[in-house]
Amino acid sequence: MATGTVQLLPLAIVAGLFALFIISGLRTSKNQATEYGFSGGYSGRIGIGASIPSNWMSAASFMGLAGMFYLKGYYAMAFVVGWTGGYVLLLVLMATQIRRFGKFTAPDFVGFRYESETARTLAALISIGIAIIYSVAQFRGIALLVSWLFGIDYIPAVLVGASLVVSFVVVSGTLGVARNQKLQYFVLITAFILPLMLLTRKLGYFWILPQFGYGTAISDLQQQFGFSWSDPFLGTSLFQWLALCFTLMFGTAGLPHVLSRFYMVPGIRDARWGVGWGLFFIALIYWSAPVYGVLARLFEARAGLQFNAGMADAADMVVLSAAGLGGLPLWVIGLLAAGGISAAFSTTAGLLMTGSASFSYDIYPRLIRPDASEADKVFAAKGFFLVLAAIVMVLTLKPWGMIAEIAAFAFALAGNTIFPAFLMGIWWSRANAAGAISGMLLGVAITFAPVLAGDVLPWLPKLFPVTSSAFIGAPLVMLVMIAVSLMTAPPSQSIRRFLSAEVHDCPEE
Amino acid sequence: MQDPSCDKNFSFFRPRGATMRGETRVIKLILISWLTAIAGTQLYIYLLERNYSELLLNELTIFNLPVHFWLTGQFLPLWFIILCIIFNFWMDRHSARKLEGTLRFRIRPSDGEER
Repeated sequence: MATGTVQLLPLAIVAGLFALFIISGLRTSKNQATEYGFSGGYSGRIGIGASIPSNWMSAASFMGLAGMFYLKGYYAMAFVVGWTGGYVLLLVLMATQIRRFGKFTAPDFVGFRYESETARTLAALISIGIAIIYSVAQFRGIALLVSWLFGIDYIPAVLVGASLVVSFVVVSGTLGVARNQKLQYFVLITAFILPLMLLTRKLGYFWILPQFGYGTAISDLQQQFGFSWSDPFLGTSLFQWLALCFTLMFGTAGLPHVLSRFYMVPGIRDARWGVGWGLFFIALIYWSAPVYGVLARLFEARAGLQFNAGMADAADMVVLSAAGLGGLPLWVIGLLAAGGISAAFSTTAGLLMTGSASFSYDIYPRLIRPDASEADKVFAAKGFFLVLAAIVMVLTLKPWGMIAEIAAFAFALAGNTIFPAFLMGIWWSRANAAGAISGMLLGVAITFAPVLAGDVLPWLPKLFPVTSSAFIGAPLVMLVMIAVSLMTAPPSQSIRRFLSAEVHDCPEE
Repeated sequence: MQDPSCDKNFSFFRPRGATMRGETRVIKLILISWLTAIAGTQLYIYLLERNYSELLLNELTIFNLPVHFWLTGQFLPLWFIILCIIFNFWMDRHSARKLEGTLRFRIRPSDGEER
């Protein structure tokens, strides 16, 4: 990716966009009090709806999905279905009930529901693990963009990108910047769809809705270059496709920073409708992402460039390269880069702060310093934020896979652990701490075993593919939770009464 | 007043109380529609690919897109949004009815008689 030249205009657009977000955030923070600086405010159902994709959209959505599509074709559709279908699970099975619990973090919820400090600590550790893995995917996206913007190699770009993320969080925290999520979503969606409209218009396709217009590019690729997308399950089996799709859905309904949206919304009804709007806003991105992959293939074929299936870095930058090959002006490419960096920065900042909050409130005062004061906890959170950022930075130095693949691994961990713990905790009164702890431990084992023992036990990655292990993993974890819960003492009367009366029978607000 | 059939032991498949029974019934319907759409479309595409000419999937187009691209990439996310809307309308109606019932219950005992 390193070109040796600094992209001055795109760099100026990136700086300008961040300045816009900070100024707008400062204005927002004057009108509202926010506890963590990044939570942002809510204004109606559409406001909640916009805050969901603004929180959700990361480098994986903005860059990774198009790259996946460019490289793997129809297989990438599993990401589209997985990352949208998961919201149905979240809405019907969890959103309302989580709000009724009145807890503010995933470890809080697990600790309260299962009445167990061990379960709470385990959930906190898993939340930190998910934050680290997901942040590695974001850091990879940031590093690739920084590498292009500054014309430097990947490794120095990781270091520069990490420094920028930490500086961004410190500056935002010091100034008390709240995220203006509606503005951020509007800017991101414009930055993503506008280049597509310009590209399809240039090609003479139906440009008003490029999400449909790109069908002509598919037939052009077939007729002019003999390239066909007509074998959806040629490279991957139906099982692999479904495994990835359901893993992403279970993971979506189990990601701590996604679930946290529903703890804080003012009303249950607004929470529900907010998910509907949020899904629509997210779908706008996922209806559009495949277009970049297809157009990049077409432009490359027209330029006589050879397709290389092994170039993960180039595939992750396909959004920018499609715009470049399509002859769009540099300011449009700069807008795309700014959108990608902004999506990755806000997601990373949110994830690292969720991880550091899990450490400072769920682990530090319980396991390390029981007499910790509030000031100590805040200090621990700040320190652990830097430690987490350093860990993520070191892990990003190694190219583990594409952005979407690394993100999918985080989803697999969430789908194998937090998702079953929440689902059983809400919908089965008999689920107890022993079941939850056994289940979450098994979930961790299922997620990491294919990576660690895949060479020794070749059947393991076939049954539990590294990025798609929750398809079989999550139901297995639930079965173990049921078996262990039935073999051990039931939860207390008070928590069962709470579940029955408050979670499943309380009137709407 | 709580539904007399309410019990503190319950599961998704063994709901207790009218509210939970109603809620789980609609959730089951939504989840069946969700699962059928995903599995059904993929099975249909898989069978098309296996049983017909390789190029059929490109020739069969809906809204300018090959059928498998449209069904999976466009229709399924749209279907999920529709399911969310149906669920939210049902829940709104359900809670409005429940609220109405609660108000009626509070007003009626003034004459000491339940009709």
